[in-house]
Amino acid sequence: MQTVRLALNAMATRFELVIHGEDAVLLRAAGEEALSEIKRLDERLSFYNPTSEVSHINDNASKYPVQITPELYSLLKMASDLHDKTEGAFDVTVGPLMRCWGFVRGSGAWPKESAREEALEKTGMDQVLLDEEEFTVAFKQHGMAIDLGAIGKGYAIQEAADLLRECGIMSALLHGGTSTMAAIGTPSPDDEGWTIGVVDPLDESSMLTSTTICDEAFSVSAPHGKAFKKGDQVWGHVIDPRVGYPVQGASVAAVIHSSAIVCDAVSTALLAMSRTEIDQMAQKFQDIRILCAYSDGNELNFVSNGFNLVNSTILNDEKNG
Amino acid sequence: MTKKTVSRRAFLMGGAALSGAGLVRAANIKTRPWPGNRDDVHCGIIGYGPQGREITATLARVPGAVVSAICDTYAPMLRRAQRDAPDATRHADYREILDNPDIQAVIVATPTHLHRDIVLDSLEAGKNVYCEAPMASSIDDAKSIARAARDASGQIFQVGQIYRSNPQHRSVFQFMRSGAIGRPAMARGQWHAKESWRRASPNAERVRELNWRLDPQLTTGLIGEAALLQMDVAYWVLDELPTAVHGFGQIMGWNDGREVPDTVQAVFEFPSGLHMLFDATLVSSYEEAYEVYMGSESTIVFRDRGKAWMFKEVDSLMLGWEVYARKDRFYKETGIALLANATQLDAQNVDPTEDDPNVETPLWYAMQEFMDNHAFGPYPPAANWERGLEAAAIAITANQAIMERTHKEISPSLYTLD
Repeated sequence: MQTVRLALNAMATRFELVIHGEDAVLLRAAGEEALSEIKRLDERLSFYNPTSEVSHINDNASKYPVQITPELYSLLKMASDLHDKTEGAFDVTVGPLMRCWGFVRGSGAWPKESAREEALEKTGMDQVLLDEEEFTVAFKQHGMAIDLGAIGKGYAIQEAADLLRECGIMSALLHGGTSTMAAIGTPSPDDEGWTIGVVDPLDESSMLTSTTICDEAFSVSAPHGKAFKKGDQVWGHVIDPRVGYPVQGASVAAVIHSSAIVCDAVSTALLAMSRTEIDQMAQKFQDIRILCAYSDGNELNFVSNGFNLVNSTILNDEKNG
Repeated sequence: MTKKTVSRRAFLMGGAALSGAGLVRAANIKTRPWPGNRDDVHCGIIGYGPQGREITATLARVPGAVVSAICDTYAPMLRRAQRDAPDATRHADYREILDNPDIQAVIVATPTHLHRDIVLDSLEAGKNVYCEAPMASSIDDAKSIARAARDASGQIFQVGQIYRSNPQHRSVFQFMRSGAIGRPAMARGQWHAKESWRRASPNAERVRELNWRLDPQLTTGLIGEAALLQMDVAYWVLDELPTAVHGFGQIMGWNDGREVPDTVQAVFEFPSGLHMLFDATLVSSYEEAYEVYMGSESTIVFRDRGKAWMFKEVDSLMLGWEVYARKDRFYKETGIALLANATQLDAQNVDPTEDDPNVETPLWYAMQEFMDNHAFGPYPPAANWERGLEAAAIAITANQAIMERTHKEISPSLYTLD
């Protein structure tokens, strides 16, 4: 058994890939093909690259229906379906709000109320017109913008994992910035799966949960990282597209599902959801596993479906298992 | 066969803009007009590897282009084609595409050594042809293709030397040709990446086919398969063709049984006396790809597929426009950004020191030129058979010099047909 490790900087993060198999030369070749797929998608989906399809949409879709590739069309359709299933908590049109809150090229700042209201008006998947016959996308009003930041990484990882399988890879783990990952097979025949963990937001040296995934994907989202402070409150870069404010719900949300796209999008959406809405997610997505941790500064509370929590003594595990 | 049946809305919009226009896409009417009342051009893609996919994705956004058929000999590639171009027919034999009278244009994106038969058959079938670069991996094949393209009067033949169609390159060339660098001293270019260049498949026969770039009998090596587009820019901008090349090649990182060097250097000699050093490696990605032209007044650097900066000598004259130009810092040097369309951007109230918000990739412009030629042509494209033959001759000879670690004259007869 041989092991090959590869890495790539793309989508403003670092992707890492580990592959196990018999022939290191072929393992590396397959890995390179998978990572080059991620690079290709980065060029096409980037919010910041002026030649990307997404940039062309954002520059022109309020003026006329923009012709896009069937591939991007399918991805926007998926984004639209996920928007519906998450009751609008996941929304790729969050671009104007991200800009208004200063998170596009900065670490955020409190906006004027009029600017926030204006940005909120320009947000909403229902204002994006997708024409299946013409493969076009149009915006209902000027100033709208699509940002695939909360789904692009999951999509790229899903596509790369599919390529690895096509190349005959039976054992691999691919992640982007440790926040979204896909597992192929198991590390060795004796293992149940690849062991993954979610770091405790109150104590980075310990884990909230540790579990295994096999031919599944995993994603974890948290509002901290890019954030600013106003008064005693920290405001992070994940914005609830339904109200136009940074989320103030879960401190961390994790999802396991067969699709890395679903994991990426839903883990972001969970941060904006009420506990009732989170409960409904399990009915809407088959075989989904969900974990949300809420912090009051000293203690964590959980909504969990399918995750095993490590230290149950400090936890109020509402639905573990 | 059409990619899209015309919706009522598109028909009405098309009809309003162009009386009797027929198949016109609503999306393209306003900003990127497909000229005149032309029908869409139905294209067949032959070879659905990474480049075939990229071309298909690009054509989906080029006015006038419809990808109607895709050919690949490997079934998984065709499954991918179904997703990327749902309305295109799929074929394992390219002759089925050539037999289809509705297909006007074919794009040949197969491995280089397979170009000749496909291009010759396509031209004979009356198709317009876009052939990926390098045009061929042997001088005989390159000349056969060039001859067929020359003799196919009334048909379009364009080679994938895409920077020839790129407005940004054209803009900087005018600038260089005006003498902005002063007396040229030398030129240098590089293509650097960290990758094995191997391809994988669970099918052993497929592995052999996929790894043609590492077969010394089939490949034009790094200088042909990776660096050719940049070298094409070099002798275009220098306005002269090299007369000799000295090559070096080593296997420095990938000791996996390969014979094709993973690291190469080639020094090209030009009639003016100027020398250009080009190096390429699969071992280090440092600084990736760029070309630099050094002269007595300034140095111009091309990178990122067409972006360019000028670095002036301290004693060179101040140019009138440079006070307004964007300056970018590169460690201790300050580069003046050379941007295409600055005047037009200003007229559109876009800051002319910013990158053009509607800029497209070089491949998009190459495809646009190919499509426009169907509407206005046929005329010789910027990358015509002559440019394809020159580039192939240079790449093939340079690769021979690298493999033999020797000096090779590039006879002028290689650049021309008898």
